[in-house]
Amino acid sequence: MSLINKLTLAALALPGLLVEEAQAGRVEELYHTDFQYAHYEESNDRMSVDVFEITAVAPIGKNITASVDLVRDTMSGASPILNTKNAQGKVEQFISGASIYEQRDSMGVSLSYAFDDIDINIGGGVSGEHDYLSRYLSTGASWAFNDKLTTLNISGSVAFDEITPSDQPDVKRSKTSQQYLLGITQILNKNSLLQSNITFAYHKGYLSDPYKLVYVENIGTLADSRPTHKFQWAWLTRYVQSFKTLNKAALHADYRLYIDDWGINAHTLELSWHQPIKDDWLIIPRFRYYTQNSANFYQAVFDSSYTGNIHSSDYRLTGFGTLGVGIKLTKSFHLTGFISEIKLQTAFDYNDRKASYQIGGDSSGSFDDFSFYMLTASINMRF
Amino acid sequence: MKTYSYYKIIIIGIFLFLSACTPVKPWQRGNLASPQMALETDFQEAGLRQHTFSSKESATGGYGGAGGGCGCN
Repeated sequence: MSLINKLTLAALALPGLLVEEAQAGRVEELYHTDFQYAHYEESNDRMSVDVFEITAVAPIGKNITASVDLVRDTMSGASPILNTKNAQGKVEQFISGASIYEQRDSMGVSLSYAFDDIDINIGGGVSGEHDYLSRYLSTGASWAFNDKLTTLNISGSVAFDEITPSDQPDVKRSKTSQQYLLGITQILNKNSLLQSNITFAYHKGYLSDPYKLVYVENIGTLADSRPTHKFQWAWLTRYVQSFKTLNKAALHADYRLYIDDWGINAHTLELSWHQPIKDDWLIIPRFRYYTQNSANFYQAVFDSSYTGNIHSSDYRLTGFGTLGVGIKLTKSFHLTGFISEIKLQTAFDYNDRKASYQIGGDSSGSFDDFSFYMLTASINMRF
Repeated sequence: MKTYSYYKIIIIGIFLFLSACTPVKPWQRGNLASPQMALETDFQEAGLRQHTFSSKESATGGYGGAGGGCGCN
């Protein structure tokens, strides 16, 4: 294969989906194995999570790529259960105490087949915790056309989840989720490209959280109770621009608009600057901003006249904003032996979630503000 | 009114997208082939970040791909 062809194929490798999928007309040419460790920790001695992940990708013949991904999360700490009001009438959050210990194991597999201009893929997996089991299937296709300047992506997935709350071992609840994606990736010019994806998701079944409660003033607590249907719509646009004179640095800018039928609208903006330094070092400073308004049925505390049956005080359904900053360093080693490349990566991200960062201002106050950081380290090997 | 504004944003976005495209020959794609120009430069980390944010925020989707749900706290 000529250098030009290799460059062309690499340029066409415009990965847009989280599950690693070959793009149209391209099959992975090398085996590769990636290990990742991450530590996530919230402020105020709330949740902390350790994540171990291994991914292996292998070419099979000329057209097929197979991959397997294994993840183990261990979680411990405390989580908000409900809100109450103190003697001064101020809302206070009640946290569970450091009683939670949980382990999640997940396995996913996928196969993709590359034709000249079209790739198809199928995948599936399972994710299990002591009280939660999720199984999913996915399929997708991508088609490169317009002299391979344009790639059309389409995919669908379905997940079947079962929840068996720890304090109700005889009660099994379930939900099903479907998600569909339609996307286009376009090379705009020799220095920039753009991707735009629209996803629709529909969830049906038990969508409440069995460990959360709501407090009705002067009456007492009720179980969290959400609608049994949810429709979500997201539109993501990603832009990448190369700056040749700055040692081929690249700017990545992502914006996502999200709307669901529980009344939540959200905006996410992510910016990152990928700056190559000498000797295959790369430094990536990044910024993230997120804002959402509250769900129709959310209240921090319900007043004594409340008589409805759809209600939640989950801190993820209120109005808030999150500001995040991070930095990532990567170093690649190109070798001539059995292993052809080793890449080491490490990153640190800090996120501050505050009611006052929300655009729109329908938050219920600062009582559930918190922050979290995430540290990741990974080693990627190509054979 | 809000829905009308979203339609305006979509139409303006499509117009900008179409007007910005110029023909790029295969031999002009060297810059685009550099690793930092990939839309996703680190699949594992991207998956972890999406999983983390979607368990702490209501918004999810756009990036596609499937993954197991969780009883995340």
